[in-house]
Amino acid sequence: MENLNSTANEKIIQDLLPQKFGKSGKIWTGILVAFCLVGLFAYYRQLRYGLVVTSMRDYVSWGIYISNFVFFVAISLVGSLITAVFRLADVHWSTPLTRIAEIIAVAAIIFASLIIIVDMGSPERFYNLFIHGRLQSPIIWDVIVITTYFFISILLLYFPLLPDIQILIKYKEKSSKRLQKFYSFIGSFWKGTPAQFKLSEKAINILCITIIPVAFSIHTVTSWLFATTYRPGWDSTNFGAYFISGAFLVGAGGVVVAMYVFRKAYHLEKYITADHFEKMGRIVVLLALLYLYFNVNEYLVPAFKMKKSEEAHLNGLFTGEFAPLFWFAISVGMLIPIIILLFKKGRRPLPVFIAGIMVVVGAWFKRYLIVTPTLLHPFLPMTNVPDSYRHYFPSWEEWAIALGSLAGAMLVITILSRIFPIIPIQETITERHETAE
Amino acid sequence: MKLLNKNILGLLSIIFFLSSYDALSQEAQKGDLNVSISYFINNNKIPYLLAKVKTKVDGKFKPVNVIPLNLFLDKDSAGTLIAKVVTNEKGEATAIIPASLKNQWSSSIKHTFLASFDGNKNYESAKADLTVGKAKILIDTTSDRKITATVFEMKDTSWTPVKGVELKIAVRRLDADLSVNETASFTTDSTGQATADFKRDSIPGDEKGNIILVAKIEDNDQYGNLLVEQTVPWGSKFIPVNNFDRRTLFATRDKTPIWLLFMAYSIVITVWGILISLVISIFKIKKIGEEIQA
Repeated sequence: MENLNSTANEKIIQDLLPQKFGKSGKIWTGILVAFCLVGLFAYYRQLRYGLVVTSMRDYVSWGIYISNFVFFVAISLVGSLITAVFRLADVHWSTPLTRIAEIIAVAAIIFASLIIIVDMGSPERFYNLFIHGRLQSPIIWDVIVITTYFFISILLLYFPLLPDIQILIKYKEKSSKRLQKFYSFIGSFWKGTPAQFKLSEKAINILCITIIPVAFSIHTVTSWLFATTYRPGWDSTNFGAYFISGAFLVGAGGVVVAMYVFRKAYHLEKYITADHFEKMGRIVVLLALLYLYFNVNEYLVPAFKMKKSEEAHLNGLFTGEFAPLFWFAISVGMLIPIIILLFKKGRRPLPVFIAGIMVVVGAWFKRYLIVTPTLLHPFLPMTNVPDSYRHYFPSWEEWAIALGSLAGAMLVITILSRIFPIIPIQETITERHETAE
Repeated sequence: MKLLNKNILGLLSIIFFLSSYDALSQEAQKGDLNVSISYFINNNKIPYLLAKVKTKVDGKFKPVNVIPLNLFLDKDSAGTLIAKVVTNEKGEATAIIPASLKNQWSSSIKHTFLASFDGNKNYESAKADLTVGKAKILIDTTSDRKITATVFEMKDTSWTPVKGVELKIAVRRLDADLSVNETASFTTDSTGQATADFKRDSIPGDEKGNIILVAKIEDNDQYGNLLVEQTVPWGSKFIPVNNFDRRTLFATRDKTPIWLLFMAYSIVITVWGILISLVISIFKIKKIGEEIQA
């Protein structure tokens, strides 16, 4: 029996150990690096010539950088959803997905922080936040809460990783010397003793409890950056809940996309099963319905009143210059995924993956629609300004930096998936044993 | 040929008639102005005149600006010019009685003021006059908050109290004057006096509680508009509220509200305290591992 167990364990370990990039992996990484380099060049141009290289002017001072920031903040919520909520609810089927969620959360929160610094123009202005920042400002709250969330996400990735690092050190032949040194540095002290497990389990439980209010705070505070500013489209008491529901949706969408890609790339069909897609599909459809409900609230009520000051903004979204993008974001980001995922056949891996991509793409444009159209409709009419101030279309530098940051986040996910097991090995072994018993 | 000349002559006559008719019709389009004068003297000091010019448009009076007026003292002596003024957008123009007319002003107890407009291409000439007698008001107060206003007029060479003059005794407020009690106006008795009890005890004054009492005669046919003021400390002290330097959400960073500091630091210390304890857990785990290795 013991022999059978050790064979099964060996099989799990061999299946789940990080694998070297194949040809497609190398091409994928190369593409991401290329995007990052173009983004870096564009950022160099922004540093060299100033924010004038962007299309942001007096009215639209928050463009796709801030849209991207809100998107990253939103997708980072996935860490707390999959890991914390499911763990606290004693849901075991999500175990193979926890590492993916934690890695996405870490990558997203890193680039959320970076893109804010990019939006400031000169990076040294970030320092001014600390020497001149006011605690009364939601911007400072955002800085505090993002830093906290980043730290929690790192810890939440690190603690469950410790038993797996012991396995990685044990299987020296599967990794390079440099990686072995790195594994030894971060986790050679893990011996898997009951005392160590007890401390680790306790820490993970505390983190799972702590991360939920912090995750709610990060999204609420980010929504308050807008809602505490009296402008058409932002003047809402609903914004905190609206942002959190949207963040849960895009986070879950991101996880199903990553699940499908890793499953295919690393042949993990035995571990990330069709049942996982079925369950995640149900979660995504529930979250999409919830977010749709908040959207109806957010747009129907102001449209019903149609205050004079909000009329231009709302008409711009419903039938004006932003209408194609608005209806694209609503239909692609919510309606079509809901239709796909409501049916059992739609919750098979490929349709769930497609719905996940739609959710993520729709969510990115939705963030853009939250940020920019409002700025083009100030309460006081624009007078005596150049025509370029009345419209906004990002410059190539902005596109390059935004795409570079998205590529950067995916590169971090890719690198972390190369270094660490994308599915927790030790937890999988433990759960299989528990199931067998 | 003769017939042709006659026809041309006839045609020219018609053209001439029509053109002259047109000229007449233009004359007829000139508007009529209504000019009025009011006389004012505040605190028994320098008197001044207020001239108003208006015209009727669609059955309603409207002020007319940029109308030049000549203001004279005593219309019989048209040479005594007080001032040349031009009306503003409210159709009003003011002029003080200049010191140069002191002798003429002192020579009589009554004066007639004349405002004349010579006419221009839009309006016919117009004029107005006003005759007023010299008068003054004195105001006095007692410790039991009674206000006595006495009206005098100049008779021969001395000031004589006047009976039966209607006046208001009020407190000066920002936009209008507020009566000192429920009586809207008072009439002077045989001694020229009108007495009012001050019943606005809680009325806000300035920082020292000072308020300004006013006794005034308005649009009197004989005396014009007279007003006299007196400052008394009968109001409640007004303590201005200034939030500029207080701890508020819109204040500078060193003026953060205490409740916000308390809440923010409590949350940050609690959460980061937990996180630091978790980092300590890592060191504990490490220590256990090193002990086993040893």
